[in-house]
Amino acid sequence: MIRIGNASGFYGDRLSAMREQLEGGDLDVLTGDYLAELTMLILGRDRMKDSQLGYAKTFLRQMEDCLALALDKGVKIVVNAGGLNPEGLARKLGELRPGKLGELKPGELGELSPGELGELDQGDLAGRLGAKIGYVTGDDLKARFPEALTANAYLGAWEIAECLNQGAQVVVTGRVTDASLVVGPAAAHFGWARDDWDRLAGATVAGHVLECGTQATGGNFSFFTEIDATRPGFPIAEIDEDGSCLITKHDGTGGAVTVDTVTAQLLYEIGAPEYLGPDVTTHFDTIRLEQHERGVRISGTRGSPPPDTLKVCLNTLGGFRNSTTFVLTGLDVEAKAELVKRQLHEAVGDDGLTWTLARTDQKDAATEEQASALLHVTIKTTDPKRAKGFSRAAIELALASYPGFHVTAPPGDGTPFGVYKAAYVHRDEVSAKAVLL
Amino acid sequence: MRRPLGTIAGARSGDKGGDANLGIWVRTPEAYEWLKGFLTTEKLKELLPEADQVSRYELPNLKALNFVLHGLLGEGVASSTRFDPQAKALGEWLRSREVEIPEELL
Repeated sequence: MIRIGNASGFYGDRLSAMREQLEGGDLDVLTGDYLAELTMLILGRDRMKDSQLGYAKTFLRQMEDCLALALDKGVKIVVNAGGLNPEGLARKLGELRPGKLGELKPGELGELSPGELGELDQGDLAGRLGAKIGYVTGDDLKARFPEALTANAYLGAWEIAECLNQGAQVVVTGRVTDASLVVGPAAAHFGWARDDWDRLAGATVAGHVLECGTQATGGNFSFFTEIDATRPGFPIAEIDEDGSCLITKHDGTGGAVTVDTVTAQLLYEIGAPEYLGPDVTTHFDTIRLEQHERGVRISGTRGSPPPDTLKVCLNTLGGFRNSTTFVLTGLDVEAKAELVKRQLHEAVGDDGLTWTLARTDQKDAATEEQASALLHVTIKTTDPKRAKGFSRAAIELALASYPGFHVTAPPGDGTPFGVYKAAYVHRDEVSAKAVLL
Repeated sequence: MRRPLGTIAGARSGDKGGDANLGIWVRTPEAYEWLKGFLTTEKLKELLPEADQVSRYELPNLKALNFVLHGLLGEGVASSTRFDPQAKALGEWLRSREVEIPEELL
């Protein structure tokens, strides 16, 4: 059995989760998902500003805090925080200053005192602690899709497994499928073959349950009133050699792991029951769930060969957007909306404007808020000046429009927006690589 | 009896590019038999009039149905002008719709 935890479901998730998972009990591997379609766009814009960036910076902070602790406890870290620049992140991890590590409790670093540690150079430290960092590369297909801001193939588990087999203690990847972060360590641990379809499918299900962090343990859960959802703990999968697993969490953490919480997460972001991935096609209609005293047992999952193609996440810059929300209170809500629409159209033109009137107002209401409707307007344009001018035009109406004019928040300068598309390439066209620093 | 669907059903929804997915599950085999017959794609569109093209998949092992609402989010989250551009609350909206539920399932 291998115990694999998760400490992140998105870029921006609970920063302390890494420490909570490391301190809360035993683990073999700790994983974290930092990438969504939207995140790739955000990282793409980071990279435009500074080619050294393009990875999830919060992970680096978590490692400054927790790397020594993870090494000391023998927990391997596997994350996709590399984003568009896994090599850059791996090198940053290699540069972590001993002084920072030295702020941790001496006991976490073996026999070294913080003072002794501060005097070590990075080479000594790596040697002393045995830190080995690996990364996975080859997902970037920008050369093939030059019109895109970001173009990344969804890689699978095998390069992660290779890094671990070569002794890596931290593995950072770019765009791999979220579930591969779990499949890779399980495959490496058990020595699975590439055509162990049922085992790979079982681990993929475990990965799918873990990939969104606390969404498996009572976060965002329809029946939240039945559990204590104040601070759900992060999930753990205890995976067996046959690919089946027990979903659980550390003792004493909040939330719950029940058939219902796990079902909810299994249904997140899926399509047809044949769940296509780079490692295996997983048949979601074969999954069996059973309540267990420490969580939920998942078994029975069947797998079949994956498609010959890999999915590619493409983000292109679509233009610029800006938005604001007018508050329309009391009488004549429709007429008030018409007036402000007419005024804004005269000022900036109606091209690219989308209006939504939410009739949240109630008649003869006892509070001002309940008497108010919300009129949302968004502009999307290829012209950044027009997106910025929209704000000025909206604010200039402040003393010249409908009675009771105000907005929920003043509009800003406008921001660029991306357009997401999926593309597919043959797997032979992608050369994924495992690299050890 | 007329009750919100969420009285007996849980849901989770999210985004995949311009499509939204909405998984809905119930907690007993009897409730699943009812849900499977009741919540057709036509019924879903009636309850969520903003849905246009809808695919439905059955997952009897999870006592669940999964719907894909094609194109609901335009060109994806960063571009969508929808109120809920990632369809996070689509499932909770569906749960709040009142429908006729057999009394023995309540």
